[in-house]
Amino acid sequence: MGIRNNPVWSFFSSLRLTLVLLAVLAVLAVVGTLVPQQESAQELAKRLSPGTIRILGTLQVFDLYHSVWFLLAMGLLTANLIICSINRFPASWRRFKAEAPADEHLFRDLPPERTVYVKGTRDEVVTRAEQALRRRYRDVRRTDASRGPVLQGQKGRITHLGVYAVHLGVLLIVAGGVAGSLFGFDAYVHIGEGETATTADLMGGKGQHNLGFGIRCDRFLIETYENGMPKTYQSDLTFLKNGRPALQGALLVNHPLTFEGIRFYQSSYGQSADGKARLSYSRKGGDRKDEAVTLGESFILPNGEGTVQVLRVEENMMQMGPAVKLGVRSGRGAVQFWVFQEIERIREGNPGLFEQVPLFNPGLFAPYVFSLRGIDARYYTVLKAATDPGVPLVAAGGLFLMAGLLLVFIVDHRRVWVLVEEAKGKVRVAVTGRGLRTSAGLDRELSDLVRVFREKGDAQG
Amino acid sequence: MISAKILSWVTFVYFASFTGYLIGLIRGRDRWARLASWTAAAGLLAHTAALLLRWRASYALGMGHAPLSNLYESLVFFAWAVVFLYLLVEWRTRNRTPGVFVVPVAFLLMAYASISPGVSDRIQPLIPALQSNWLTSHVITCFMGYAAFTVAFGLAILHLIKNRQRKPGREPSRFLTLIPDEHDLEELLYQSVLLGFVFLTLGIITGSVWAHYAWGTYWSWDPKETWSLVTWVIYAGLLHARYVRGWRGRRLAVLALVGFAAMLFTYLGVNYLPSLHAYM
Ligand code: HEM
Repeated sequence: MGIRNNPVWSFFSSLRLTLVLLAVLAVLAVVGTLVPQQESAQELAKRLSPGTIRILGTLQVFDLYHSVWFLLAMGLLTANLIICSINRFPASWRRFKAEAPADEHLFRDLPPERTVYVKGTRDEVVTRAEQALRRRYRDVRRTDASRGPVLQGQKGRITHLGVYAVHLGVLLIVAGGVAGSLFGFDAYVHIGEGETATTADLMGGKGQHNLGFGIRCDRFLIETYENGMPKTYQSDLTFLKNGRPALQGALLVNHPLTFEGIRFYQSSYGQSADGKARLSYSRKGGDRKDEAVTLGESFILPNGEGTVQVLRVEENMMQMGPAVKLGVRSGRGAVQFWVFQEIERIREGNPGLFEQVPLFNPGLFAPYVFSLRGIDARYYTVLKAATDPGVPLVAAGGLFLMAGLLLVFIVDHRRVWVLVEEAKGKVRVAVTGRGLRTSAGLDRELSDLVRVFREKGDAQG
Repeated sequence: MISAKILSWVTFVYFASFTGYLIGLIRGRDRWARLASWTAAAGLLAHTAALLLRWRASYALGMGHAPLSNLYESLVFFAWAVVFLYLLVEWRTRNRTPGVFVVPVAFLLMAYASISPGVSDRIQPLIPALQSNWLTSHVITCFMGYAAFTVAFGLAILHLIKNRQRKPGREPSRFLTLIPDEHDLEELLYQSVLLGFVFLTLGIITGSVWAHYAWGTYWSWDPKETWSLVTWVIYAGLLHARYVRGWRGRRLAVLALVGFAAMLFTYLGVNYLPSLHAYM
């Protein structure tokens, strides 16, 4: 008994502690949704004084779900749960085994409709009662009381263990969460269409992780509804091991892919501005020539009259649409200017703009005139990469939790007793029962049992 | 759209039903309450039909999905679940008094769905994250849980009223005669909380499984998740307080009110906090 009297043990086996801890967890969680957490806390930081920030930071208010407070409350709850369950288990186990002998008190003050006089000898009636019980209850036992043999049938005693399944489930989920945060990793991988990524950016700005393999995005596809909302988007990926394709597949939202133990999820996407700019140029009155160049690339004008380099590519330059900035080097020196795609529209809106602002004049390198036909936008895809060794534990915990709840709340431990006694030279059967929950079901079962004896047409008196 | 028209009529039907329950309770007459039950049942029938019509209409528009995917649809389904569950309880217990506090919740939900300018009743296509079979099971389980907690809320208010009226030296007023006795009310409240707890647990589990597939993490402490956990913890506290510490009566009813408030905030209040669940 020693351990039960230990003050530490009794502190942890108190259910008052459970209620307090549950309340503390609820309050912490609420605070965590009201105060911006992690990255979003930077907004708030600008509005508070450095002193306040330092104090709040020390109190870990900006990362509450990983704070000492939260871990402490969870740790105490876990200890509480384990010790409480150990404390209670023997009593539940006894109720589960249900060794309590049939007691004659049970048959006192029975309503008349629960007793019936039956034809036949006592032993015949006992056999019949046993058969009737076996048909309804898996577990049937016989004891001999002073008034006569008592048959006991029971079902649903597993319900006493349901609570432990629930509590075990909670523990498994907590354990899985801890395992995940210790041994799992969470990162994002950005891959431009046609490119290969070999590293992932760890969440929370914790640096880069070398994947040890390559992921190539062969194609990125996006479909939209008429109203412009995205309908589906998908990345066609090739996983490369030592430069050789090892797995190919399409990655969609809600359909992750696994490679080398890492799960990949389609997280988001975007457009990169480093697509090819489709340029045209002509030498005063001459033929038009086309070039397609990416940022940083250059090409040479006919007869070596100059070298043109793409210095910048903008999807939307100063709200005037797509534009590229070109630099031309030649024997006459170097000039730089912007070439807008929607040049006609801009000229109409701002007459004289190109004369006043030479930087915006596509004919600055006379006698050449440049024009931009378009920029081929290139998509990049963002994958989430994650490993979480805690997931199986959490999943098992969820199953235990749910199964336990159903055992506790749906299954009823029912016991029925049938007493067969000889009274005034006749055989009398008395039926009674107990359930854990008040329910009409038990009454129905008992009436059913009584009817078994009535229906044989042998009911007397 | 025909379904939206039916639904706005259903709103009035629920209001009529509420009035019936109210008159029945005040005058202590079961006849009015019975009329109110039948009115609510008729409303529920039309409500169900409207949901099915809306479901079919979404297929006709080429985006076929169960009507459970935006705020309007969730409000309407919530109201449906409240009335459905309440009528079930009423039918099992043969007592019609809780309706006076439960049916108006359904009415308010429907009214909010139809009137609030921020709630669009258009059938909208699903963004990729929502295109999952888990959406349906997640939403149904969550809202069945919410509905059971709503029934518990109605019972808790009845319980508090009954409790107040029973002060010594006070003649119990006539309109309380129909309210079940405190013991029965409490048993019923406990049963409703249990049912809600089981469904909410399922709702959180299905949500986690879905998040695991869609976002790559089963739990991200997003405000909606966090508040659903808070709600869950409050009701877990209620179950333990009663079962293990033997709390009874008033204190239990007050906890049921606190749980209901947390549940409402989980559902609606959280939308004012930044969240991944923004579309719900
Ligand atoms: C958040 C986590 C928890 C959940 C979801 C949970 C769930 C449950 C459920 C559903 C029951 C059955 C209640 C009933 O029949 O009405 C129960 C009973 C119980 N719980 Fe918990 N529980 C949790 C935490 C704890 C903790 C931390 C303790 C430790 C003190 C505890 C101690 C008990 C005890 C002693 C019982 C009664 C067992 C019996 O039948 O003898 N629970 N719990």
